[in-house]
Amino acid sequence: MPVIEAEHLTKRFGKKVLAVDDASFTIEAGTITGVLGPNGAGKTTTLRMILDLVRPTAGSVKILGSRYRELRAPAGRVGALLDASGFHPGRSGRNALRVLATGARIPNERVETVLELVELGGAARRAVKGYSTGMKQRLALAAALLGDPEVLILDEPANGLDPEGMLWLRTFLRAQAEAGRTVLVSSHVLAEVEQTADDILIISKGKLLAQGPINKLTASAQPVIRVRSPHPDKLEAALRASGAAVTRLGDALAIRGPSAAQVGDLAHAHGVALHELLTEQPSLEDLFLQIAGTRRES
Amino acid sequence: MIALARAELLKLRSTRTALGLFIVILVVTLLPLILIVSLLPPDWLETDGVTGFLNTASALVPLVLLVFGVLGMTNEYRHGTITYAYLVTPRRWQVMVMKLIIYALVGMATMLLAVVLVYVVIRIGGAIRGIDIDATGGSTWGDYARQIVVAGLITTFGVALGALFRAQVITVAAALIWALFIENIIGLIKPAVGAWLPFIVFNQVSAGQMPGDGADGAFTSEMLTRPQAFLVSIAYIAIVSVAAVFISLRRDVT
Repeated sequence: MPVIEAEHLTKRFGKKVLAVDDASFTIEAGTITGVLGPNGAGKTTTLRMILDLVRPTAGSVKILGSRYRELRAPAGRVGALLDASGFHPGRSGRNALRVLATGARIPNERVETVLELVELGGAARRAVKGYSTGMKQRLALAAALLGDPEVLILDEPANGLDPEGMLWLRTFLRAQAEAGRTVLVSSHVLAEVEQTADDILIISKGKLLAQGPINKLTASAQPVIRVRSPHPDKLEAALRASGAAVTRLGDALAIRGPSAAQVGDLAHAHGVALHELLTEQPSLEDLFLQIAGTRRES
Repeated sequence: MIALARAELLKLRSTRTALGLFIVILVVTLLPLILIVSLLPPDWLETDGVTGFLNTASALVPLVLLVFGVLGMTNEYRHGTITYAYLVTPRRWQVMVMKLIIYALVGMATMLLAVVLVYVVIRIGGAIRGIDIDATGGSTWGDYARQIVVAGLITTFGVALGALFRAQVITVAAALIWALFIENIIGLIKPAVGAWLPFIVFNQVSAGQMPGDGADGAFTSEMLTRPQAFLVSIAYIAIVSVAAVFISLRRDVT
């Protein structure tokens, strides 16, 4: 059963900015779905429309079967991390959460539980202005978890986290999915999403370009041919002349378009020696560049 | 709605903004009063010396409360806490209405406390110096009640202005400049227009004296009667509050 259903979701700011353009997608229960896209792609606007913070110009979105504002006790059903700086700097971490818990009729004991869960128990009495970026991010996660929700919507949760924090976040997200929660997480760090998400939505310039399980999407994508040659310039020129998309990586080339056999034949025809020739299954980054690049070209 | 009210009160208790403004109110009312009661000659205190001071203090406190109301709302936008407020209570009108109510009550309670403290300081100061000072400053209990109600209205007015304009510094500065200067200038140039302006109308409700009963002032004869001023005050509060709620419903939180 879909947890989130968006139909022709569109958001225009003023007359010039089309932030989200006719996006339709569904998010299934119990999955981690990554929303991918560069900065300014429309990820945050999409998440905010799901949460009724931004009004769609056209289209609609339902979460758990209704609009967010129609949910009864929404904090107990949907948790959201949208902005780690969304706390009063003079308020302690504990009081910041207590304000939310009080408004949502959540007992104060739960505040202590989530503070311990995000490992902020020791800093709970300190004012938020004294928190590091990573600590604010954890506090925002604690706020999202206050109502023990079945759906988590997290906008760039890895922002400001150090490598240790990133590892913590990965483990945390996996644990949430294993506990049966549905997680929708946006990020522009593709490698991070690749390690945590089951499904992805790729958004670029407001357009939803692809949706589905990561392994299916990458399997269906064009493989990348990597070659190493003592004469990469000559080979690159020949490949480009044949219409292949080539990315230079030092003395190696990443090629999309022709097969490994075609690249080998082309090198032979131009008298270029090859020291390495292999076919790689595309990574999420390759997939993203292919899809976003195709869209730009069209 | 009770949970929302409790959350709003916790917001006030858990930062220093409310405490700071309360200290400002104490400073502008009690500190000069203590000096006056301690140092001025007895014959001056026994006449009408305290009356003028009390009138000044009763004009300053509402201005501080106006700023308090503006800060209460604009801080939500400035620090992004409005996002969480709407996530917890997505029916935004409830958030806005409860904030308006709570700030009205806090404004009234603050004014009540200020009035009580002023009264207590004068009584204690007079007793210590053996002087019979009129602790009411010529005002009646009805005057104090109206001052308390107006304090609540002005605090609410500040919240609504904050919701309408969001930008904290600009809203505070514009509200103070308007209340302290622009309305008075308009009132002097065009008394018939000035009599209908919001802060003049608020003052008119709480004023100890009214046109025809001995009040002085450049445009006294043009002023509204107290019942008229009260109705116009309520109309102002209703208009800005409804506008604030309406805009909050339609505004994107980005």
